[in-house]
Amino acid sequence: MSRIIITGMGLISAIGNTVAENRDSLQFERSGIGHIKFYKTSYAGRLPTAEVKHSTEDLNKKIFGEPNPSITRTSLLALHAADEAIRDSGLTAEQMASNETALVGATTVGGMCLTDEIFHDALAKDHGTPYLSSYDYASVTMAIQSRYGMMGEVSTINTACSSSANAILFGARLIRNGYAKRAIVGGAESLAKFTINGFNALNILSSKACAPFDRDRNGLNLGEGAAFLVLEKEEDCRDKKNYAILTGYGNKNDAYHPSSNSPEGDGPYLSMKDALQNGGLRAEDIGYINAHGTGTENNDETESRAMIRLFGNVPAFSSTKSYTGHTLGAAGAVEAVYSILNLVNQEVYPSLSFKNPIIETGLVPVLEYSKQEFIHVMSNSFGFGGNCSTLIFSKT
Amino acid sequence: MPYFHQSACISPQLSFPEADLTQIRTSVKNLLNVVEPDYPGIPAGIKRRMGKSVRMAVGAALPLLEKHPQPDGMIIATANGGMEDCIKFLNQIIEYNEGLLTPASFVQSTSNAAAAQIALVTKNHQYNITHVHRGLAFENALMDVVMSLKENKNAAYLLGCTDEISAYNYNIDSLAGWFRKEEVSNIDLFTTSAAGAIPGEGSFMVWMNNEQEEAVAGLDDVRTVHTEDPAIVLHAFKKFLSENFAEGEMPDLMLTGENGDMRLLKYYDAVESAVLDTVPVARFKHLCGDYCTASSFACWLSFQILKEGSIPSILLKKNTASKPVQRILIYNNYRGAQHAFVLVSSAHEFLVDR
Repeated sequence: MSRIIITGMGLISAIGNTVAENRDSLQFERSGIGHIKFYKTSYAGRLPTAEVKHSTEDLNKKIFGEPNPSITRTSLLALHAADEAIRDSGLTAEQMASNETALVGATTVGGMCLTDEIFHDALAKDHGTPYLSSYDYASVTMAIQSRYGMMGEVSTINTACSSSANAILFGARLIRNGYAKRAIVGGAESLAKFTINGFNALNILSSKACAPFDRDRNGLNLGEGAAFLVLEKEEDCRDKKNYAILTGYGNKNDAYHPSSNSPEGDGPYLSMKDALQNGGLRAEDIGYINAHGTGTENNDETESRAMIRLFGNVPAFSSTKSYTGHTLGAAGAVEAVYSILNLVNQEVYPSLSFKNPIIETGLVPVLEYSKQEFIHVMSNSFGFGGNCSTLIFSKT
Repeated sequence: MPYFHQSACISPQLSFPEADLTQIRTSVKNLLNVVEPDYPGIPAGIKRRMGKSVRMAVGAALPLLEKHPQPDGMIIATANGGMEDCIKFLNQIIEYNEGLLTPASFVQSTSNAAAAQIALVTKNHQYNITHVHRGLAFENALMDVVMSLKENKNAAYLLGCTDEISAYNYNIDSLAGWFRKEEVSNIDLFTTSAAGAIPGEGSFMVWMNNEQEEAVAGLDDVRTVHTEDPAIVLHAFKKFLSENFAEGEMPDLMLTGENGDMRLLKYYDAVESAVLDTVPVARFKHLCGDYCTASSFACWLSFQILKEGSIPSILLKKNTASKPVQRILIYNNYRGAQHAFVLVSSAHEFLVDR
């Protein structure tokens, strides 16, 4: 079976507009978590978030020149990251439009970032806003599809916070099963009253910067951003830049509760194990883990238990959500890019705001930037509805 | 090759638990709402908290899972998930000005709630995914099951979809001009010429594996394309035909997603022009209405047609079948931008003397 290679990456988040800027922030421990500047919500100033440092108008002008009147912030973030990834991989306009190029996007909020507009359009008798076709999840993926006139298979996935990890594995499977020669895969998310209020109602938003895996952690911070990767078959990309191999992927369900993990982390454990098996690897082959690590009481303890169950001696790990916040549907792709940066540069990024380990599990994440040697990196994404996914990237 | 086995369909017609297409239900005020069963299989406490979209999905899935308790994966399509719950939560946000809210509607509204609930109720830890790509979500799920059954030859999957009409998305789509403005009965959908469709809803679930024995149908192929150009649709369709039919061979039936919107007829005309004049053409959206995963209803209808060997006259647009129907080509079009070709065949075609 062909090996799947990552030949391009694009990323925009609260810690940078490009992959290079993101790496710079990770190396120098600059978190993007802070007060909301652009998004209008009554929680601005009360709940810290990790916001992309551009207004929607700026992004629209930057991407379209003449602003597109019906496009949402989520789609703009997606386009920003996808454009970078496609440029990075050197794909031509012809290759993008070809029916051999698939596109798999992911988001959990889609166009519902426009809470007030959707509310207006749901009740108005006439004079709809320009966003009538922009509220659903597919609108985000279709913004990329139509920008490049893509004729290949196109899909959008929403499995809550593991959405874009599933987009990546679905794209790899489309290639392996002959539905495509290459695939653009990733996800996008923007801050929204919908998610801010939803997570707040569940009492899992922290009023301080999140502290993944810390004993006294008290919740997550929402973030926004987008990341896309270009996947190609090894034999098709020998003459271009090869960042990493997508060696294995796992998808399992926790089947325990609609919005929290089982006490022993069954879903996370099974998902990591599934990825190892899929990649033909043993637990001891993994050199580093980009954990899901949201900073909620439930996730960090159950993820720790699952890692201990699987690895015994848990490899170096950290949570980059202490920089980007939890970017929900984009998180799997954002952290896939970070995992690939780990590999390419043979370096690890520290978890921020950690002070004391969780008493029951005692795990301590990476606390300092350093150069390290490893071949395989694992990235975890777990979502509501028990949707757990794990990706493994390896050095070329 | 992937085969369809037991299926369940909750639709605006009498399709659940058994199919009865001898009586056709008519639309009420331009809506084709589903006939919801009592769902005796869903515990009352859980049922009360479920939105319609999740309830239909779980209600259709549970009878299948009684017979096969543990599939190797659940592959679900829904373009909008729990739309009603979603807007309910948005309402609360506006009404209480982002005050203290209850999370139930938020959790229920996530697209993956249906797949998650089915996994939760049956304690299933296997592959679990939700495809949400608007008018192609169902086809993406079909593609996923094709791949899954290539990757795991002895596995079996629960494949399905669910989408509901909510007052809010109905309003938004009406403002965008996608629905008929004048009152029209679904029975007259194709005899009146106007812009817009009649909205519908439904849920479909089917058990799938690679075993031909006792199967109701085989899934030969599925492909999709995004374009607004009928010439590109025609090109993609011809490619699909040539990949699946020998020179001179034709499907025994074309089942198309014509929805009564005159603006979209050019796509159906293009596709119909590519098959021989004698091929029967049938339609289904006057029975189920138009919604993102409506092609699943066509899939379910094709099982009934293959079982009977004949095409119910209510479906026929032109020609009649001159021989038992063996291969059905479904062409669906969502709002002139998303196109899908699905080929469903009799599971036992090679047993029949052709």
